Amino acid sequence: MQGGSTGIGYGLKYQARCITDVKADSDHTSFLTATLSLKEENEVHLIRLSSGGTELVCEGESYEAAVWQIPELYGQSNSPQLECIASLDAHKSKIKCVLWWPSGRHDKLISIDEQNIFLWSLDSSKKSAQVQSQESVGMPHHLSGGAWDPHDVNIVASTTESSIHFWDLRTMKKTNSMEYSHVRSIDYDTKNKHMLVTAADESGINIWDLRMSKAPVAELPGHAHWTWAVRSNPEYEGLILSAGTDSTVNLWFASPSNDGKTSDSVSNSATKWTESLLHSYSDYEDSVYGLSWSSREPWLFASLSYDGRVVVESIKPHLPKTSSAML
Amino acid sequence: MAADDVSVDDKVKRTRDLLSSFYSQDASQISPPSNTTSRFATLDTINTTSFDADQYMNLLVHKSNLEGLLQRHVEMAAEIKNLDTDLQIMKNNIVGMEVNMEQLLDKIMSVQSKSDGVNTLLFEKREHIEKLHRTRNLLRKVQDCKKASEEVMLVIVNKLEDKVSSDSESIQARAEAVMLLKQLDFPVEKLESKLLEKLEQFLEELDLSKDTSSDSANPHESINEGIESDSIPPRPEVPTREFVEAVHAYHVIFPDSEQHLVKLMHDLTTRHFEAAKQQIQEQVSSAKLSNRLRFIWTDVLSIDEVLPEAGLQDFAYEAARDVLKQYVTSLFSYLLHEISDALLQIQKDGIGEEYPLRAALEASKNALIQGSTKVLSDIRYLLDEDLGLVLKLRDMIISWVQEGFQTFFTQLNGQLLLLSGKDVPTDKVSSGLVLVISQLSVFIERDAISRITEEIGSSLLGGSYEYGSSAFYISMRTQRISVLLRKRLTTPNWIKHKEPREVHMFVDLFLQELGAVGSEVKQILPQGLTRRHSRTESNGSTSSSRSNQLRDNRSNTNRARSQLLETHLAKLFKQKMEIFTKIEHTQESVVMTIVKRCLKSLQEFVRLHTFNRSGFQQIQLDMQYLRITLKDNAEDEAAVEFLLDEVIVAAAERCVDPSPLEPAILDRLVQAKLAKTMDQEPVAS
Repeated sequence: MQGGSTGIGYGLKYQARCITDVKADSDHTSFLTATLSLKEENEVHLIRLSSGGTELVCEGESYEAAVWQIPELYGQSNSPQLECIASLDAHKSKIKCVLWWPSGRHDKLISIDEQNIFLWSLDSSKKSAQVQSQESVGMPHHLSGGAWDPHDVNIVASTTESSIHFWDLRTMKKTNSMEYSHVRSIDYDTKNKHMLVTAADESGINIWDLRMSKAPVAELPGHAHWTWAVRSNPEYEGLILSAGTDSTVNLWFASPSNDGKTSDSVSNSATKWTESLLHSYSDYEDSVYGLSWSSREPWLFASLSYDGRVVVESIKPHLPKTSSAML
Repeated sequence: MAADDVSVDDKVKRTRDLLSSFYSQDASQISPPSNTTSRFATLDTINTTSFDADQYMNLLVHKSNLEGLLQRHVEMAAEIKNLDTDLQIMKNNIVGMEVNMEQLLDKIMSVQSKSDGVNTLLFEKREHIEKLHRTRNLLRKVQDCKKASEEVMLVIVNKLEDKVSSDSESIQARAEAVMLLKQLDFPVEKLESKLLEKLEQFLEELDLSKDTSSDSANPHESINEGIESDSIPPRPEVPTREFVEAVHAYHVIFPDSEQHLVKLMHDLTTRHFEAAKQQIQEQVSSAKLSNRLRFIWTDVLSIDEVLPEAGLQDFAYEAARDVLKQYVTSLFSYLLHEISDALLQIQKDGIGEEYPLRAALEASKNALIQGSTKVLSDIRYLLDEDLGLVLKLRDMIISWVQEGFQTFFTQLNGQLLLLSGKDVPTDKVSSGLVLVISQLSVFIERDAISRITEEIGSSLLGGSYEYGSSAFYISMRTQRISVLLRKRLTTPNWIKHKEPREVHMFVDLFLQELGAVGSEVKQILPQGLTRRHSRTESNGSTSSSRSNQLRDNRSNTNRARSQLLETHLAKLFKQKMEIFTKIEHTQESVVMTIVKRCLKSLQEFVRLHTFNRSGFQQIQLDMQYLRITLKDNAEDEAAVEFLLDEVIVAAAERCVDPSPLEPAILDRLVQAKLAKTMDQEPVAS
């Protein structure tokens, strides 16, 4: 399945795993990505899709990991340096991920390392970040990642090797947990209040309804090896992207078959979900680790494979005919 | 002119005279030679053949005087001139005559050739006419024969008519008779309805005897000897053939009776299947069912040959579908029944046994496993029978069985819940029962399902299935191994690793797991042909030529950047290695897939850590050992080599100082490990 490449490519110099979309930038579709080479100086790149939509241009680079502010860019610019605002230095063990509040301004951010969850309050004028509260997850568990619930500012989900925990940030206590092992990536559905998508190593992708968290409401096969990241589209319901270690990115469509029910009614367990693989992007040389939808143009997504290659693709040609009305 | 004419006439006359005198003198010349002695007598001897000029001259001189001689001379000269001109004229005439003759000859020749041509043309026609003449004679003779045969035909037709209308003849014989009548141009249409009626009646009688399971009454009209006689596998086929031939005959003869015949055949088939359904309800074994199905199918096929318009095959498929589905559901419901019975035993005889609970647990476990095995073997038997009917529905049957198992387990679950009295006041149900049920559920969850799935995979899905239980088995196994690998990589502190002393023992566990897999698949799965897989079968790939860089011992950090650039370029040209290939249901494929996935997981785990030099060397050592030991298992050696290299490369990239072990040390440690393994295990045959 080595088809011709249809996406726009950009190359980082070293290996990289993380890419995310810059939500605050409403004028351009831009993504932020960073490298993780061991011996070289790592770089953070801000790349932007040009207005013709045909190429990715790097707008900024910098080094080291901390909280950055992306400076305002006036007109032409040649790689301005990103300013360092603050650094998160309260961590004792490996930082697993840092979460920003998914929409809008918020002066708090969450960082998760192997043992603890930290809630920071950020003051960009004073250029400092203070730990507001932290909580440990308990001995047998190692945290591996998390996601902030976009519908409720107080709920954060974290993943460990054997389960998914939900925390209430006001009390920093676990409120709920789902037993599921080796979840690598978790993403809330921004459209549906109770939906959650998880990707696990061997078991593929599961879609959960948080009101009935015993078993997933739908399962997608995922990838030929591990599914590393899963993201649900911020704008269109039912579209899910997954990136895997078999060097492909798969676009799925999953939705409950009966469209008549509103999302608030408790769907009974007999609701069947239809799921289908819309397309598989296979133009990658190595495992794909980073995945991000663009919030400005939600039919575009950026994917990052381990060898530092960023590919921005559009899902428009692969949408099923019924949902092309969405666009 | 007149003078010329006169002279010409004169000439002609003279010529004629001369000729006549010459010829007449010729006639009279015969005698003179006899008396040549009297030659001296006359001067006319000049015209004789024995003319002697000297003698003549002497005579002339003696006889006449000078005047006479001179006159004679003048006369002779004039005569000679005349003779000369006459001769000339004659010569011309003769030439002219010659020419004329030639022309005449030509004309005659042409006439002759033309007449030859005409003759030859006429020759053919003549022959034709002769032939026709002969034929006419023969025809006269044939006509005489015909009259005789017609008389015979009349006699035959009469006899056949009698045969057809007599009820004592069998259907087949009657059909034959009708066919022959048709050939004899007998108007058979009026017999049509009568015959069809007879056929219908016959078929109805046929079915009646089928539905009754007791011994048949009339050997003439019964088809199968009863359902218990499955010890006589080949059923009497004669009656079938009979009505098949009858159908064929009627179809040929009465073209518009098609509808009727089709309807009859459909009814017949429906009744067949009804009987089969009846059997199922009576808990028939799959052997009997397959016998019956086989019988039905041969019937269907033979009818289909003669009456394709009936679309009997499709009809049969539809009906068979229902029957088989019913069969499958009945198998499962029976199984469910048995298990609940086994469980309820507790309530019945609680005191008799010493360990009633354990006995009940064992009983129910056995019932479950054996029951499901029996279900599978029944289905397997049915599928193995190689029935045309069943083959087409094979996939459907398999999916029914799988669905059936799913619903069975859900139903079992419900049943168990019911029995344990979740919704019912607990004093009615003994706690022992609840304990047994809970243990049973645990057993089901842990072991039974995997065992049954394996059994499904082995017994039903031979070869042609792609996903399904072999994928499930593979993912189960891979999960187990990846737990092992994960532990291996997360436990040590890689950044502070010590120098590698020996190959790490996780390889033993890894190989042990692979060995277990190998022995399991050897028991169950078929061996596949070794073949190189083609590119089109893969759905995921990684490309790496970074491993080449590793051979180079000078891994300077300053060169890392340029090296990376080189590898990016090299990637463009190196052929992509296909890692994730289609899973096939063979030993090699399953083992290979597991190995590949585990190695890939290993690579991914390695990428998540940072190593110091010793840690990196440890990884290198472990991979080298695996390289040697996995060679036997690997069907696709290139892929395994590639993946092992990838692991090492990933470790190198995550290492602060990736200087590999010296090859000598590497070999030594690997050999040491191999020797140790050999010592521990006795050499197996």
